[in-house]
Amino acid sequence: MTTPEDALQVARAAAEAARAEGGYAEPAFSFSFQSAPRIRDARLMEWAVIEPELAYVGSTRRFGRPITLLKQGLLRLLRQYNDQVVAQQTRFNAHITGHVMSFDDRLDAIERLFGEREEARDRAIESRRREDFFGR
Amino acid sequence: MNVHQVLSAAGPVDAVTNQGLAFRRLFSEWGWGGDDVAEIIAPGMPRGAVKPARALRPAAEDVVLLHYSGYTPRLEQLMDVPNPKVLLSHNVTPARYFWPYEPLEGVRCALAPGQLAELARAADVAAGVSHFNAEDLRDFGVADPQVIPVLFDRAKLGAPGPARPPGAPTILFVGRVAPHKRHDLVIRAFAMYRRRHAPDARLVLVGGAMSPAFGRMMRQLVHEVAPGAVDFEAGVSPERLWELYRSAHAFLCLSEHEGFCVPLLEAFHFGVPVIAQPVGGIPEVVGDAALQARADDLAVIAELVHLAVTDDELRAELRRRTGPRLEAFAFERTAQRLREAVTRAAAAR
Repeated sequence: MTTPEDALQVARAAAEAARAEGGYAEPAFSFSFQSAPRIRDARLMEWAVIEPELAYVGSTRRFGRPITLLKQGLLRLLRQYNDQVVAQQTRFNAHITGHVMSFDDRLDAIERLFGEREEARDRAIESRRREDFFGR
Repeated sequence: MNVHQVLSAAGPVDAVTNQGLAFRRLFSEWGWGGDDVAEIIAPGMPRGAVKPARALRPAAEDVVLLHYSGYTPRLEQLMDVPNPKVLLSHNVTPARYFWPYEPLEGVRCALAPGQLAELARAADVAAGVSHFNAEDLRDFGVADPQVIPVLFDRAKLGAPGPARPPGAPTILFVGRVAPHKRHDLVIRAFAMYRRRHAPDARLVLVGGAMSPAFGRMMRQLVHEVAPGAVDFEAGVSPERLWELYRSAHAFLCLSEHEGFCVPLLEAFHFGVPVIAQPVGGIPEVVGDAALQARADDLAVIAELVHLAVTDDELRAELRRRTGPRLEAFAFERTAQRLREAVTRAAAAR
């Protein structure tokens, strides 16, 4: 009998044996919470400008039509206030988006510079190696 | 005595809300009154079950019990009352899991520890649902954090399942489809198990997706590694859920962060062998009644699943060991702890 305490050892041995005969050959996977598809800048800018849709304000009750009309009417009456809220939020979103994109640009520039330096370093090493070889 | 409960948000399928409602039923049995309020009330909540936060009007000697499950604006002001206070922390998931998928949820999780620390220090009794959670409270400066586990009412679950359910091997996991629950690992481990040992095996994943996009990612993964062998079920009735437990051959939980994880106890109740990662509150919930392994080698997890499904003696031993765990989290025992915590807070003023 395999006891719960032994089970892990038994499973490890079985996995090892399976691998020895070619089993469990699945490629290592990379999915993790870090590797999600990146939200594109265009999408970020699209989301930054918030545009609530009046048509989505309503009631889900069976006879909710009057409630829907009341809610939409109230929103129209409060438009000045709501527009302020939307404008303030959009301004904040736009600034944040701007910051993120400027960081992106700086990161791109740093990576490009780093790549160029790496290439130059590799070229210099290669050149020294050749000089050593031919010089000798 | 009156005990008012404050929830960050209330929803019909929210575990914390259901815990608050279960507490309310107990309070009523004990002859205690009070209201339950929430900052946000989701559609679908029975009318009047939870009131808006502005309805909180505690009398001087009433106790206010806060169920803390995430950052909520204005909670500090709401809790700024001179009443005896109990805080129950239901666990906050680390923000890093959410940044790529749900940044707003990430913000909520990132802001939560600071808010929780402030609220916990102001409480007369601060408790976590597990020692794991209670340790966070200690780090926040709470001198003597208590543990009040999740109320687990076995009487509602009905009869356990058979020692070995009929049919093809069925592996089950129950939990919201969210990054820290690592459904991706469950799907991959299952795919490896299925390929090596049981081509007819099925995986059932019960729980709604954190977002439609994240749900689609998991479905895409299934399409790649185990097409046609995985069922996603969301919004299932309790009866359907109990049926799924009864027909499962093993319960596979590879979550990387759990404060308590009630489905583990449910699996124990139904006699389903559990394989889980020893993280967060999981080890103290499962004790020696589950197969615990890190998910760094999924081939080992696949072999553990195979053992749990096929080794009848191992299954029987695991089932035997669930008895003391279920006893440790018996309803009456937890209810007593809750009562003591509330009484202690009331006596502190």
